[in-house]
Amino acid sequence: MNDIITTACKFVTSSIGRKILVALTGSCLLLFLVGHLAGNMTIYGGCAGEGGTSWIDFYATGLHSMPAWLLWAIRLGLLAVALIHIVLTLVLKYENYNARTHYQKEGTLKATLSSRTMVLTGVMILCFLAFHLWQLTFNGDPANCYDHIKAAFTNPWCSAFYIVAICCLFMHVRHGVQSVLQTFGLATRKVRPLYNIIAVLFGIVVCGAFISIPAAFLTGLLH
Amino acid sequence: MANLNLTLKVWRQENAQAQGRIETYKATNIPDDASFLEMLDIVNEGLVHEGKEPIHFDHDCREGICGMCSLTINGVPHGGKKVTTCQLHMRQFKDGDTIWIEPFRAAAFPLLRDLVVDRTALDNIIAAGGFVDVRTGSAPNANNMPVRKKTADAAFDAAACIGCGACVASCKNSSAMLFTSAKAAHLNLLPQGQPEKNKRVLAMVRQMDAMGFGNCTNQYECEAACPKGISVDNIAKLNRDYMIACAAEAVGVYS
Repeated sequence: MNDIITTACKFVTSSIGRKILVALTGSCLLLFLVGHLAGNMTIYGGCAGEGGTSWIDFYATGLHSMPAWLLWAIRLGLLAVALIHIVLTLVLKYENYNARTHYQKEGTLKATLSSRTMVLTGVMILCFLAFHLWQLTFNGDPANCYDHIKAAFTNPWCSAFYIVAICCLFMHVRHGVQSVLQTFGLATRKVRPLYNIIAVLFGIVVCGAFISIPAAFLTGLLH
Repeated sequence: MANLNLTLKVWRQENAQAQGRIETYKATNIPDDASFLEMLDIVNEGLVHEGKEPIHFDHDCREGICGMCSLTINGVPHGGKKVTTCQLHMRQFKDGDTIWIEPFRAAAFPLLRDLVVDRTALDNIIAAGGFVDVRTGSAPNANNMPVRKKTADAAFDAAACIGCGACVASCKNSSAMLFTSAKAAHLNLLPQGQPEKNKRVLAMVRQMDAMGFGNCTNQYECEAACPKGISVDNIAKLNRDYMIACAAEAVGVYS
């Protein structure tokens, strides 16, 4: 038992061990994104029957009708995953900053812009998340979900903020997806270009679908 | 053959404690078939004639195989042409160019003087890897131990690392993952390296962390700057091997 604890402690303090934890929690957050998006897409489903409740209201009330312990277990689980992801990346970033002494003339060969701005886009996503939770999770009635979303996105400033934040999410995910696969040791020279394509496609599909909602309200497709 | 006139912006620093600075030098009448180090030799000759201190830089074989030469040229270790600085020729530059020359920078590579840094940290990682249990003495029979051709090729590609430290110097985080992974992979891939595989992986990664290198963020600057074309596939392999080694250590599997 002692061996297991000793090794586990060494693992979570080592560079590779912490990167693997960041990759694991990042993968959980990617899965959450997909789940969240699938739920959001019910907004295009219209209403159940003529003048009935809209599908997204059904979906929102459905989520809230879960047993309270389950709902809070999921919320706290997500919070723990997000906290591990954020704290470990900030610690790693701090170490990386201290490990480097800077050049008078900096040069970059192939590091992508998204890979060099991960902390910046991550912090942007965190600010967005706080606003998003305040606006639509803790200050909303699930039975009137559609009206809340409509009220938010008919405000062009609010829509613009959402679109900018999702663009940051795209940058973050574009490096994140291929980075997760490399960290798990699943990348080789042959498949790495494919992973890059998967990362960009995943980003475009997920972030494009998220952006489509404020865009649809702004252009009047949804009203 | 054309001769080049260049402006050099060179990092000068008397010793580890002194405050460093960029100084500007003129490099005139440089033959374009000179190597980068020969260009510096010409500039240094001029400095010596003027009674000034020459620019100190590391070099040894000047054949691209020893890994002693360094220099970050225009922000990229070895100049980013997939060769070592000694094999970089002045024909890669244009007349009138301004060239920035700085040492390989990383907190784990303390600067000794001008462009010379101490890369002992890399040797410590290799030393931590320990010995390989192979029979010494007369050469073994050929093909005594079957190795797949592709495995042998991958091990040989990893073993091509000359330990110059360009991966660390180019990394935005000063991580030594490409170096460590190449050194671990060239033994881990082969049957001869299996007996100590887990022990080697754990010891080398822990030593790497202890030397104050940064953490890899998968930007692949190292692979692009490496004069020997060491692949980041080795990093993926080290990640795999490290997970396996940790699990084996935790539950006490000694394979």
